[in-house]
Amino acid sequence: MAPPNHCLAALARLSLTAPARPTTTPTIPKFLLPSATAPSPLVRYASMSKKRTKKRKTYKTFRCYDQSKAKKFSLCDAIRYIRAIEVGKPPADVKYEIAAKLRTQKNGPIIRGRIRFPFAVKTSTRVGVICPEDSPIAAEAQQLGAVAVGEESLFESIRAGNITFTKLICHPESADALKKANLGKILGPKGMMPSPKTRTITADLQGAMQELIGADEYKEKLGVVRLAIGQLGFTPHMLSENLKLFMSQLKHDIDNGDEYHPKALDEVVLSSTNGPGFSLNGTFSSSDEKVQPEHLQSVM
Amino acid sequence: MTGPLSRTNKLAGLVRLRSGPGAAILPHDVTRIHLEFNHKYNGGHMGPRKFWREALPGLKFWNPAVPMVVNRSNEKDAPATLTLYFREAGVKLPDLMQTGSATDGTSKAPAPVPGERAVQIHMKNRRSEAILKEFMDKSGAVPVKPTPQDELELRELADREAIGEIDRAVSLKQNEERRKEEEFLRRTRAALADSQANM
Repeated sequence: MAPPNHCLAALARLSLTAPARPTTTPTIPKFLLPSATAPSPLVRYASMSKKRTKKRKTYKTFRCYDQSKAKKFSLCDAIRYIRAIEVGKPPADVKYEIAAKLRTQKNGPIIRGRIRFPFAVKTSTRVGVICPEDSPIAAEAQQLGAVAVGEESLFESIRAGNITFTKLICHPESADALKKANLGKILGPKGMMPSPKTRTITADLQGAMQELIGADEYKEKLGVVRLAIGQLGFTPHMLSENLKLFMSQLKHDIDNGDEYHPKALDEVVLSSTNGPGFSLNGTFSSSDEKVQPEHLQSVM
Repeated sequence: MTGPLSRTNKLAGLVRLRSGPGAAILPHDVTRIHLEFNHKYNGGHMGPRKFWREALPGLKFWNPAVPMVVNRSNEKDAPATLTLYFREAGVKLPDLMQTGSATDGTSKAPAPVPGERAVQIHMKNRRSEAILKEFMDKSGAVPVKPTPQDELELRELADREAIGEIDRAVSLKQNEERRKEEEFLRRTRAALADSQANM
């Protein structure tokens, strides 16, 4: 027996024929139906196709937080905590790291650069040089201490996955050959593809190699510039020298940026390989007058 | 970048460093400390490792000028010893040259220089609390009492951890229920598809 409302509908059409629409009620709950089967014609989903999703607000800048209540540390205080947390770790393996947060837009140019610290953080860098084979330039590169020199032979070894270097320079005479070799897919993800932008396609091999060996690269990612600025074994003064140089160079980069995409420094956080992040307040001396900088340079 | 809130919460844990088991000030005649034990904890090296992770950071925080070197090795039957170095009364020591901490067993305990004496503590097969007690007795370290501010922070930390424990239990239960329901739906749908295919 059909439900009364169906009978009424049939009467309204003054007909006793079978109802125009099938009256079968599904025996299985809807949510159990496999999605592959077509929906019953009885069921009409008013807003299934254009279900309204709540529109999320999009921001053009990276989020910055109120710093007024945040706890800030002087450099020596942060070093004291970090040295306590990292006690017993090999001092050359553990690095002090800096994260400089910027107030900046999400689009637009980013800050990137290279810095030569007065006290080198890295312990080993090997350089490869792309230049015409058996030329005076190749001889010069080898003299300067490049571990791999050449053009086609070097490309072959890169394709074979035999990469003995950690940095790569290209002489302008070989720039066209490098372009034709199509190595961007291999070298690009490693950050070793030479380009004039990063000053790694250059005729001044000596200058470039010196800069690469003693230089560290930094790059803004998601509004933050991160860089290792020292080893755990450094004294507070060594670390402060490195930090000062980095901050002045970063400030220079910020000031000389695109005027349509202004940037400003928001926060500077010092952390270490295994330690938490200490927001720095820009001062040097410890808040505990019993702890002097020379107390923070014993063997770790 | 890690948000300021989670960074602040992490820094709140520093109070355990300032007032934990290792919070003690060493007397002036302690010149250096050397620890030696194994990477692997079996064979009685769990206590020394715990001492290093739990007590040594506090000691280093309160005595930043005292070199504390940890030498870990993979040697079988490696010893687990703590060496305390004392300055003899009235002696002015030269600059102590020694290697830093190592993970390959290369930084052995140095022999005491003239005017210095070494005291050893055997750590193998002992709990870290027992090692710490012997260390405090032999070194004459004075424990640091937590300040009222530190006590407050400790209480807040304990409270937050208790709340976190409750939250964890709640979300664990919710996730279990959600997973159960999803599994039930998946099985029922599969059975239904099977029966329709056979029809």
